[in-house]
Amino acid sequence: MGEGYDADKETFMSVPRKKIPWWPTIDYEKCDFCMECDKFCPHNVYAKTNDDNKKLIVKNPYNCVVFCRVCAKACAPNALKFPDKRKITKLIKKLRSEQKGESQ
Amino acid sequence: MTNYKLCIIPCNGLDKSLGIIARTVALKTIEKEPKIELICPVLLNNGEKKYEEILKSSKIVVVDGCMTGCATKLIEERNLKIFKKVFIPEMSKKFKLKPGKNLILTEEGINLAKTIATELIESLDRSDDEITIEYKEIEDIDYFDITVDKFYFRVPKSGFNFNENDCWIKPEGDLGLIGITDYLQNSASDIMFVELPEIGGKIEQFDDVGSFESVKTVLQLISPVSGEIVSINKLLEKQPELLNQDPYGKGWFAEIKLANFEEDKELLMDCSEYFEYMKNKIMKESEHLKKMKSEKND
Ligand code: SF4
Ligand code: SF4
Repeated sequence: MGEGYDADKETFMSVPRKKIPWWPTIDYEKCDFCMECDKFCPHNVYAKTNDDNKKLIVKNPYNCVVFCRVCAKACAPNALKFPDKRKITKLIKKLRSEQKGESQ
Repeated sequence: MTNYKLCIIPCNGLDKSLGIIARTVALKTIEKEPKIELICPVLLNNGEKKYEEILKSSKIVVVDGCMTGCATKLIEERNLKIFKKVFIPEMSKKFKLKPGKNLILTEEGINLAKTIATELIESLDRSDDEITIEYKEIEDIDYFDITVDKFYFRVPKSGFNFNENDCWIKPEGDLGLIGITDYLQNSASDIMFVELPEIGGKIEQFDDVGSFESVKTVLQLISPVSGEIVSINKLLEKQPELLNQDPYGKGWFAEIKLANFEEDKELLMDCSEYFEYMKNKIMKESEHLKKMKSEKND
């Protein structure tokens, strides 16, 4: 899963992946840098850094699978937040209908 | 207490507090319920005969501290079934108690372990009630199929809709069954644990309605539709392998009373569309793997 992924070319539900703002956000107030989320995610979304305040960052947000939230399960301090799924669904619908309009 | 034998095996990972909480949960549990046998994972890994026998004759409660799932792996290696699984990060969120970072548990950490143990015992008492398993008549399905690098993938030819998260809905009137596709079960490989949604739960399209685990990974079922859960496939708790063997049939996950199928459907694929989508995905992955291999050999 996730191998050979090129975010520039990818689409999700026919919409360019880069138009869909879906990825986890790390709440640094809560995160204790256990790195469980990074260990778990097979899509290379996270990356470790040398910055002591942000030892982990979301490096490749567009690698994140739209609507996936599974790494949040690994996070005991509940430090991972995802966008509002309803808003994203609405946005996808809107973008799809715009695309249809353009192609006609 | 239950009328069958129980044993408990924690991961006991000593490298992080989550593992130490797992161990403490097991200790607190047997303190309250001395009849439950404690399995030491380290000794078991060393081939302790006594434990092998206990594991075969009892229902197994697994306590894992993190996603590495060491306790789960020990059970999986022996081809045994997990009866109940406790996952510390999930419990920590549920009870709003932090495990802490230190290897010596804080008061809050100990509290968390105690709370989990108490709830575990209560839930074991409850699961004593006979669970009723609902069997659904599954008609024969006609499939499109494709074999790529030893893997065999099928997609039904009609009657199903799919989302891009590789989950399906099979609508029938105002009800529908949901489940995972062959692609998803193949990427998980042998599924050994399933978490089903609750009956009566209201779900929205693209909500996470359940998860399943193999030794390799944890995956979610992302609902293709909105509605209310009216029944769940309890059989999967006993035979999670049905998800691998028959993902479109006996491996159904839940039944949903559809809230808004016509609208939900706008964002779903039909069978041939999904087959094309899946083929593309598999081909890309296979090419990528080949490239990686050849780069390695260069
Ligand atoms: S949501 Fe899924 S794809 Fe996204 S970062 Fe988490 S595990 Fe990776
Ligand atoms: S799992 Fe949670 S606490 Fe651990 S590194 Fe990731 S965000 Fe931080």
